[in-house]
Amino acid sequence: MDQRAGISAGFTLRLSIRARDPRFVCVVLALFCVGVALFHPTLKLSRSVFDHIIVVDITRSMNVSDYRINDRPTSRLEMVKSAMRSALRELPCGSRLGLGLFTERRSFLLFEPIEVCSGFEAIDTAIERIDWRMAWGADSRIADGLYDALIHFQDLGANLVFVTDGHEAPPLNPRYKREFGTVKGKLKGVIVGAGGLSLVPIPKFDERGEAVGFYSEDDVPHRSTFGLPPKPPSEIEGYHERNAPFGSELVIGTEHLSSLKEDYLRGLAEEAGLLYSRLENIEDLGRALQNPEFARFETVASDIRWLPVGLALAALVVLYGVLPFRLR
Amino acid sequence: MRLEFDYAWLLPLLGLALLPLVRSPVTASDTPWNALLPADASSRIWSGLIKLMGVVAIAGLVLGLAGLHRKEYTVDRVGKGAHIVLLLDRSQSMDHSFAGRTPSGAEEAKSAVAERLLSEFIRERKNDRTGVAAFSTGPLFVLPLTDNREAILAAVHALRQPALAQTHIGKGLLLALSYFTGQALTGSRIVLLVSDGAAVVDPDSEQKLRKLFKEHQIRLYWIFLRTLGSPGIFEIPEDPRDDNASIRPERYLHLFFQSLGIPYKAYEAENPAAVREAIADIDRIESLPIHYQARIPRLDLAPFCYGAAGLALLLLVSVKLAEAEPWEKA
Repeated sequence: MDQRAGISAGFTLRLSIRARDPRFVCVVLALFCVGVALFHPTLKLSRSVFDHIIVVDITRSMNVSDYRINDRPTSRLEMVKSAMRSALRELPCGSRLGLGLFTERRSFLLFEPIEVCSGFEAIDTAIERIDWRMAWGADSRIADGLYDALIHFQDLGANLVFVTDGHEAPPLNPRYKREFGTVKGKLKGVIVGAGGLSLVPIPKFDERGEAVGFYSEDDVPHRSTFGLPPKPPSEIEGYHERNAPFGSELVIGTEHLSSLKEDYLRGLAEEAGLLYSRLENIEDLGRALQNPEFARFETVASDIRWLPVGLALAALVVLYGVLPFRLR
Repeated sequence: MRLEFDYAWLLPLLGLALLPLVRSPVTASDTPWNALLPADASSRIWSGLIKLMGVVAIAGLVLGLAGLHRKEYTVDRVGKGAHIVLLLDRSQSMDHSFAGRTPSGAEEAKSAVAERLLSEFIRERKNDRTGVAAFSTGPLFVLPLTDNREAILAAVHALRQPALAQTHIGKGLLLALSYFTGQALTGSRIVLLVSDGAAVVDPDSEQKLRKLFKEHQIRLYWIFLRTLGSPGIFEIPEDPRDDNASIRPERYLHLFFQSLGIPYKAYEAENPAAVREAIADIDRIESLPIHYQARIPRLDLAPFCYGAAGLALLLLVSVKLAEAEPWEKA
């Protein structure tokens, strides 16, 4: 019993002597730190990620070339696609992106949101392959399409990004305006306006998809002739109940030309409880997507092994590099 | 297999690993002079070992800090799998039940049945590369051929959303075939068409389809979701005047597929159970072994670096503990 106590006391004595030796302290400290690092310490950090469904307008007016990329005229759709691909590259890992198309009165979901890093190639190719020929109808009823998206994409856990030039075709009858009251505030999101502010002709394609000039005045209706006329009959010039319910006047407007209808889109955004942002440069879309208002916070375990390992390394540098050769 | 660093800029710190070669962790003592001692093997081994341990400790820490890892790589394996393009009909009628009504209560829409059973199929087949294409009035490119299961499921889940307009099958088929352009010919290539109707394929597209089906060596499966009371694809109309492509587009599309001279099988499903059987049958047939690329994930090698450093330090600590005590204090 005594002997054991003696050994134990001797060991403690030795340790206490060693503890005064800085070299010994350094080695033990390094060993301890490495031991800590081997347990893989992590720190819970929260970072912002973004979940979006981007719905792209693929109606004819999106073929208008009023953008320039590298000094070459670029169509609105091509510009939007480039902007989307650049935004995809910039979204932080953990974000998710879904894709939809707008034509006619509908927003059609191609796929639900996919994680952007593991699904990068798939999403990137899907964006690249968006084409105006995918359209299933010729109308461009933007307010209806937006409403459709707000109704159907509510349960997908993502914000709505609706990219369009705001060109309704055929023109709307103000009597039949889409009401957004029931869906306002159900989804967060942004309407992104694409296109230039001055009127530009819309390219026309034949049935084989080859460009054949532009739409002319005679190709498109310049006013709505749907439903009841917007004004009471007494105020309509040349009104005839059966033959000219919208009046006899020949209306030639600028519907065969297209520009970004910013005021209209701002109004829509307000009614639907969305933000509005304009796409002028490629980076604008990425910036709009990473608006802090859309951030979802995700906790990630970040690796902090560098901390104990750094300490251990410092201790060894002191041991070998700083302490004088002889030390007593 | 390749080793890489996350923070290669830390590597110059490896120079520190040379320090133990010129400096010793052992406390120097005034009195004994090494030259007095005869050179013996055991001392030489020990002093070498002490130096080596110092080098190992510092180098291990620096390599670990720099994020040494084995890069993700792929290996060729042989297994069951295929290249599959799902070609999905998104026409309006897909949102009706098999009875041709708006679904209610226990009745499921045809698109919902397809969504549920295709998701199962995709989850079970681990080695396929799958692409998704859809068609309505126009062809809709959805996802390229990919092995990202989560992405494919996200695309199949979109079937739960309301469908679109008409059925323009010719363009849809051309789109599905375009997925195989420029792809290396490995394993079997499948187009799995899920539709509840058909339309006349125009002669121009027919020509192209004939050529492409052959060229890409496609195996074609058609799961025809037959609505109650509508003509089937195998049925020959009683009145011969009805036997033409515009009245019976389904039957004529079937005849066209048969005439392609490619492996082709059609399933007529009138209820969810029949769809399940059809999918199970395809799963069985398409279980031929193929070469595929298996992904070997990235391997973090830092724990090994730190482990080695830890062992070296453990030895140095024991050396320090075994050090002779200074003379004065003894």
